[in-house]
Amino acid sequence: MSEKNRPEIQRDQTYWRSLEHYNQDPEFLKLAETEFQSSPLREGEAEDGVARREFLKLMGASLAMATASCVRRPVQKIVPYNKQPEEITLGVPNYYTSSYFDGSESMGLLIKTREGRPIKIEGNSDHPLNRGVSIKGQASILNLYDPERLRGPKKNLFNEKRTNKDTIGANWDSMDQDIATQLKKGGVVVLTGALSGVANRAVVKDFCQAFGAKHVQFEPLSHEEVRAGQKACYGDDLVPFYRFDKAKLIVSVDADFLGAWLMPMTFSGQFAEGRKDIETMSRLVAFDSNYSLTGANADIRVKIKPSQQLDVVLGLLHEIVVKKGRSSHAGNGAVKSVVDSGAGAAARLGIEPALLSQIADDLWENRGRSLVVAGGLPTLTAQAAELQIAVNFLNQVLDNEGKTIEAKNANVGLQGSWADMLALINDMKSGQVKTLIMHKVNPGYVLPKALGFFEAVRKVEMVVSTADRQDETSGEAHFIIPDNHPLETWGDAEPVSGVFMIQQPSIRPMYDTRSFQLSLMTWAFIAKQGPKRLQEYETYYDYLRAVWREEVAPKVARGKSFDDFWLEVLQKGVVGEVGSASGRSFRTDAFTSIKAPKAATGLELVLYPTVMMGDGSNTNASWLHELPDPVTKITWDNYASVSLGFAKKNSLRQGDVIEVTVGGNKLELPVNVQPGLHDDVLAVAIGYGRTAAGKIANNIGLNAYTLMGFNGTKAIASGLPVEFKKTGKTYELANPQGGQTMEGRQIVVEATLKEYLKKKDANIHRHHIWSLWSGHQYNGHKWGMAVDLNSCTGCNACVISCQSENNIPVVGKKYVLQGREMAWIRIDRYYVGTPEDAEVVFQPVMCQHCDNAPCETVCPVVATTHTDDGLNAMTYNRCVGTRYCSNNCPYKVRRFNWFGYAQNIEKPLHMALNPDVTVRTRGVMEKCTFCVQRIKTAVNTAKKENRPLKDGEVKTACQTACPSDGIIFGDMNDPNSQVSKYFKEERAYGLLEEWNAAPAVRYLTKIRNNGKDARHEKGEHA
Amino acid sequence: MPWKTSVKATLGLALTGLVLGVFLSGCKFQPGWGYNKGYQPEQPIPFEHSLHVGKLGMQCQYCHNQVERSQHANVPTLATCMNCHMQVKTDSPHIQKLAETYNKGGTIEWVRVHMLPDHVQFNHSAHIRRGVNCQTCHGPIETMQKVYQFSDLSMGWCVNCHRQPENNAPLNCTTCHH
Repeated sequence: MSEKNRPEIQRDQTYWRSLEHYNQDPEFLKLAETEFQSSPLREGEAEDGVARREFLKLMGASLAMATASCVRRPVQKIVPYNKQPEEITLGVPNYYTSSYFDGSESMGLLIKTREGRPIKIEGNSDHPLNRGVSIKGQASILNLYDPERLRGPKKNLFNEKRTNKDTIGANWDSMDQDIATQLKKGGVVVLTGALSGVANRAVVKDFCQAFGAKHVQFEPLSHEEVRAGQKACYGDDLVPFYRFDKAKLIVSVDADFLGAWLMPMTFSGQFAEGRKDIETMSRLVAFDSNYSLTGANADIRVKIKPSQQLDVVLGLLHEIVVKKGRSSHAGNGAVKSVVDSGAGAAARLGIEPALLSQIADDLWENRGRSLVVAGGLPTLTAQAAELQIAVNFLNQVLDNEGKTIEAKNANVGLQGSWADMLALINDMKSGQVKTLIMHKVNPGYVLPKALGFFEAVRKVEMVVSTADRQDETSGEAHFIIPDNHPLETWGDAEPVSGVFMIQQPSIRPMYDTRSFQLSLMTWAFIAKQGPKRLQEYETYYDYLRAVWREEVAPKVARGKSFDDFWLEVLQKGVVGEVGSASGRSFRTDAFTSIKAPKAATGLELVLYPTVMMGDGSNTNASWLHELPDPVTKITWDNYASVSLGFAKKNSLRQGDVIEVTVGGNKLELPVNVQPGLHDDVLAVAIGYGRTAAGKIANNIGLNAYTLMGFNGTKAIASGLPVEFKKTGKTYELANPQGGQTMEGRQIVVEATLKEYLKKKDANIHRHHIWSLWSGHQYNGHKWGMAVDLNSCTGCNACVISCQSENNIPVVGKKYVLQGREMAWIRIDRYYVGTPEDAEVVFQPVMCQHCDNAPCETVCPVVATTHTDDGLNAMTYNRCVGTRYCSNNCPYKVRRFNWFGYAQNIEKPLHMALNPDVTVRTRGVMEKCTFCVQRIKTAVNTAKKENRPLKDGEVKTACQTACPSDGIIFGDMNDPNSQVSKYFKEERAYGLLEEWNAAPAVRYLTKIRNNGKDARHEKGEHA
Repeated sequence: MPWKTSVKATLGLALTGLVLGVFLSGCKFQPGWGYNKGYQPEQPIPFEHSLHVGKLGMQCQYCHNQVERSQHANVPTLATCMNCHMQVKTDSPHIQKLAETYNKGGTIEWVRVHMLPDHVQFNHSAHIRRGVNCQTCHGPIETMQKVYQFSDLSMGWCVNCHRQPENNAPLNCTTCHH
């Protein structure tokens, strides 16, 4: 059809994908109408050197050859076990409970293994805290099979200045002797990341006792500011446990608790829990410097800049304590004099004064049932301590202490500290440290050069690292003694006080490695120093059991014998429960002595961690890089996010490279024009720009830690003044979601709580649908899925779970730019409102398994068909790659496999593949299968046991990963199944219902509890 | 049209015809051809099914013990062989080879006879549960001195059986392909 004949499309502007979309940029419109960015004309650049037409020719030839000699085939060997391992049945997976600690959150895991190989990491559904597993937790399976792991201990033959890196293999015995001898000289420091778990902490403590060593803990995302605030206000040096499920009103000041702060998986579950019953759902108010995942889920989001964080809290306090004279502190003159500086905060924040006082009133209304949180890198400003104290005071005023904030259930393992790290550098410089043992830290990458870590570490007589590769820091070590991967070793964790988890190995160590803990025990044994239990056990497993017998079992075994208790722990993976809490008394003088916020002008820096990269450790995993950022949706890079207003003022466009200068440190970053940012904010993600992480992570993005500033021993990550300069260069950012639009159709539906209370199916436009065809008959099962948009936080955990389950390849930045990303489930992010104050809606979209599937009717080779249980089947071996189906799919969920990605999987990464799912070759269309392999396994199991299939027995991979129970799968022919009930809800609607494709996926409207009467002031859906 | 092009086109057509001809006459009209039916490779140890099953009357599941629980009919571990061959026929050089390998903790690399492509997911246990005899697919295994592929294991052969109404077997593509 020529351009002229094309009907004019009425575009609804309510929901938009990108600024180009919002502005109806002609280039964007062209892109939107093209539908498919990738074209065969562009693919002469095939990475395996064989272009498609060439490939077809070769295929033709080899077909002829194959036909002429089709009796022969490759000879395969069957290699049986010598002796049958008791627990292994070929082809039947075993599941082991375990745990994963990312330096901040400990999650309960269920590891799926096949023939002794872990192939998938899922959440432990028996766990009292987390349901799903974070992205990094799931991707840690790639770290296990990382081809670049060290395969044995290494010794570095240093020159005098220790600038070279000439490593040779080390001999265990002589190395251990050397280290033990050195340790006896004293001056030992053990530098670790945060340690979760009773035994993990005990072994370090015992070791320190043995050699008079000092234990220093360092985490880039340390939560030190929260601990300092708690210490000042309550005298407890701890990170309390928060209860988002109990709070009716949550106010977050730059604490990205749904994304990358503290315990996002646990908190996402709690948050969803507090919103499941819509009529009494909680409200989330986010004051957001960066556009965080928490901000994206907020009912009311207010953009701020870091220097305004304290102002926000004081402003709220002023409303409550001074203006309304509420709480017992109302008459306190000292309090008033501090709080008074919060007067007029609304004007400074640029919001309606009524809004701020409304939030304050609501907080007071919900006292004891509200929660104010602040924390994380974006709050590490010069006034981080004041902010924490003010937040604590506000919670005290609101009577939340002991109700939604539980100090008794704190995670006592979070002891990482920047201050301690900086002090250690000084100690090393002054020659006090003779031996340094490093475990799970990477200061060489994290610490800015000016702090002199490298000069300091070269003054230490012997440096030992347990890194699994020669990274930025372990390159400085005399000995690298690679630690086992968490899946290969015993350990434990304590996510909150009183809940104990076991980390159980699910594979024997793949290489000649040794766990950090056993190393400590070995050196103590050789040196014959230290507590008895450190020396007498041969393995860390025995030590761990001894510690659990002494310290854990008495608390939670409830009179069982230790062996019974131990078996139960191994089976369940977790023991104990979250205890009750009580309030503490507040030291008001901590609050009255804080300094008022200083008003700032000019551009301010915000550093933030992303859900994919976290602090930047263990990032040599391709899944993490290809996963789009939840909000910006950009892959394979970090960038400087600025507001539209700022970009316009300085005539910057998306992808322009600017030179950012913060306190003398420079970085050249591409610009991302981000809707909903404050005009004075420049936000950069940390965790990128590794230089010695491995082939995948090296030189992806830039290291934003280098922009950090230090005030004495305090680390400052945000609020620093930023200067920028245009460079005239441009850089392409790979965003897989720039070019698609809703074209004004009903794709994502939202309603405000008020609308919902009036009419439960508010904003859903129902269509009268009729059909000439009677449709399919489903006599057995009929599979369906419900996605509750009100629970979905857009965290992306499902995307990684799907990738892991279904062997989905990673295509790389170049092909993401061409629209060839392969994810079977994507999370669409729509902006709504103006670019200045854009709100966000997330919508996971996977194959909709339509009853009247448009793809099925166009396949010339019948490679995609309908099954009698309602699945839209895709038969890869039948597919010839015409891509007609993809062209005809209204949901754009069919992904074409352009290249032989699977052939390029480097060994031993192929061990992570799921043997139940065919690995697709090039030239094949693929898409979500509703995890048909899981359906088949469950159905077969039920049949074998002669019983009907139970509801909830089949769980799709995306469902198991969801921390907030947003995805429900089941049999729609069973009227009592959970999915049937969801389908009957008034909030349920299908995508493009009016086309009568009859999808088997239904979405439930998102409800915004923002107090407004209507979602859209102007213009309804078409 | 320049003559070179037309010659090329003719040649091309002829070649296509040849390929098609071979394809149709070879694999389509001679059942089994192209599917390795009758494939009977040499094994590292000449294990005789005819002796163990036919003469001694051993149950299939004695060795293939996971077949009721798993999609795979496992090849027995060396320890299973040694259950009897610790005592039985220890003078045979083959058994000595087996015993030696077993004692060293090694394994025997058997040559695979029945092979399905990677995109086919076949489940033994589901068929056993429905009472399908091993011999239905694997043939008179009790008479085979050296195992050969009895059925052609082609898709048509699978579907033929699944289509019989009395079998009440699923005919979805996803039954085998996912």
